[in-house]
Amino acid sequence: MSLIRSIFIHPVVKSMGSWSVAMLMLLGLWQAIVSVFHVPAFVIPSPVATISALFQNEVMIRGLLWQTFKETLAGYLVGAAVGVLLAVVMSQLPGLGRLLYPALVTSQAIPIVGIAAPLVIIFGFGMTPKLIIVAWIVFFPVVVNMMDGLAHIDRDQINLARLLGATRLRTFLYIRLPACLGPLFSGLKIGASYAVTGAVIGEWTASSKMGLGTYLLAANAQMNSVGVYGAMLLMTLIGIGSFAMLLLLEYIAMPWRHRATSPWRRAPHL
Amino acid sequence: MRLQQKDLMMPNTPEALFSQAHTGANGNTPGRAVKLSIDGVSHAFDDNLVLDNVSLDIAPGEFVCVLGASGCGKSTLFNAVSGLLPITKGSIRLDGEDIVGKPGNVGYMLQKDLLLPWLTALDNIVLGASLTRGATQDDRLRATALATHYGLGAHLNNYPTTLSGGMRQRIALMRTITAGRDLMLLDEPFGALDSQTRLSMQQWLLQVWAETGRTIMFVTHDVDEAIFLADRIVVLLPRPGRIGRILNVDLKRPRDVSCMTSSTFISLKAEALDLLYR
Repeated sequence: MSLIRSIFIHPVVKSMGSWSVAMLMLLGLWQAIVSVFHVPAFVIPSPVATISALFQNEVMIRGLLWQTFKETLAGYLVGAAVGVLLAVVMSQLPGLGRLLYPALVTSQAIPIVGIAAPLVIIFGFGMTPKLIIVAWIVFFPVVVNMMDGLAHIDRDQINLARLLGATRLRTFLYIRLPACLGPLFSGLKIGASYAVTGAVIGEWTASSKMGLGTYLLAANAQMNSVGVYGAMLLMTLIGIGSFAMLLLLEYIAMPWRHRATSPWRRAPHL
Repeated sequence: MRLQQKDLMMPNTPEALFSQAHTGANGNTPGRAVKLSIDGVSHAFDDNLVLDNVSLDIAPGEFVCVLGASGCGKSTLFNAVSGLLPITKGSIRLDGEDIVGKPGNVGYMLQKDLLLPWLTALDNIVLGASLTRGATQDDRLRATALATHYGLGAHLNNYPTTLSGGMRQRIALMRTITAGRDLMLLDEPFGALDSQTRLSMQQWLLQVWAETGRTIMFVTHDVDEAIFLADRIVVLLPRPGRIGRILNVDLKRPRDVSCMTSSTFISLKAEALDLLYR
């Protein structure tokens, strides 16, 4: 009894519960709007019709979903890695950081569709330009948030490390890095919710393989409303799934935020 | 095998816990051996002179309190001795070696415990090893034995946010001791604690000091605290910070709360208050 209780009051389970309820409410709202206002199906199809159409073309849809998911994930991983690396380098070498910062801001001021075209000219159709577009969108919130975190580390903690005779690398691993995990995850979460958009824009400009983005364009051209909404629903699902995955990673990476004792570090027995 | 290791790691006497401790250093013979020598130290921030020609020798194993009102340069003096602040004039030597501007030679503890929230209490205690060469299982065993001896055994797996203020300061002091420096600088370490906790922390500190034989330089603005703890009290006067007088505290050790109402204590207190507030 108490085990079952403890599962249901576990914060991760509770959070999953509230997410599911929120999703169902949105679907319900969608259904209600369509039903109450008698919206014709070619303008807005009902969620039931949309989802059942997805299942009718299950094999094809599965392929599209997998393709777009692959692009999103690969681009996201590259973007996140670049963001973290840049933040570390720029904070350790402030001179270089001051030079690079305006360049980073500029990179985001260029409309992403404007970047897509030259990328196709340079890299041709295929995975590379799509991956770059996703990474281009993802790295920015990661680098900005992580740098912010690294810049606001408690001066006294760094002094303490110096007084203990710390090496630079170890100070980074034991103090700077864990201290900026919060902001880092904020950046990673924002990046995760934008990543799909990048993949879809990539597909629109640089696709040789069918993904959800290309499918959405095709469906739109054919006045296939259930197809358009179905693609949209699945893209949303990828976005929400990535975000939820990061929430879970964040929860695991920072046990001190929700636990009294460490789940893995134990004092030795005497 | 397990038992042998256990025997190795759990010495029966507290003295055996501290391989680098001085022996018999609590006898207080200032003027003979010198652990820390502060000689003619002056420091100015821009044109503002905050320390004026401060000289002080501290013997090995001695407990010296630096007493002063705010603005008398206590913290500046501490930062200078710690090596964090390069001073304008004068020399500071530890065991004869110049330590001006060289952090890492002395232990240091502040009113802020500075425990890292992402490390367990034990990992905070062995932080010195983690930050320099990596903490070994041996470091962790020693630290566990030490912390257990001082009544912290039940809290070693806890994250600091789940511990009380007094407990956190104890962990911070254990971290300072485990770092293995002979001289420990304590800058109002109990300043943020309530008066009951503070008193029990003072007694606890005296026990730790007596058993480890470290040299302690303790900053405070609390006259009672200074008299209760110290062998000698250095009274600093403000603007610019300078030594007003050095008071010898002739209260026998071990001290308990009852000594705070003795006539020696009261007359020292009167003298210190007179120096501070005249």
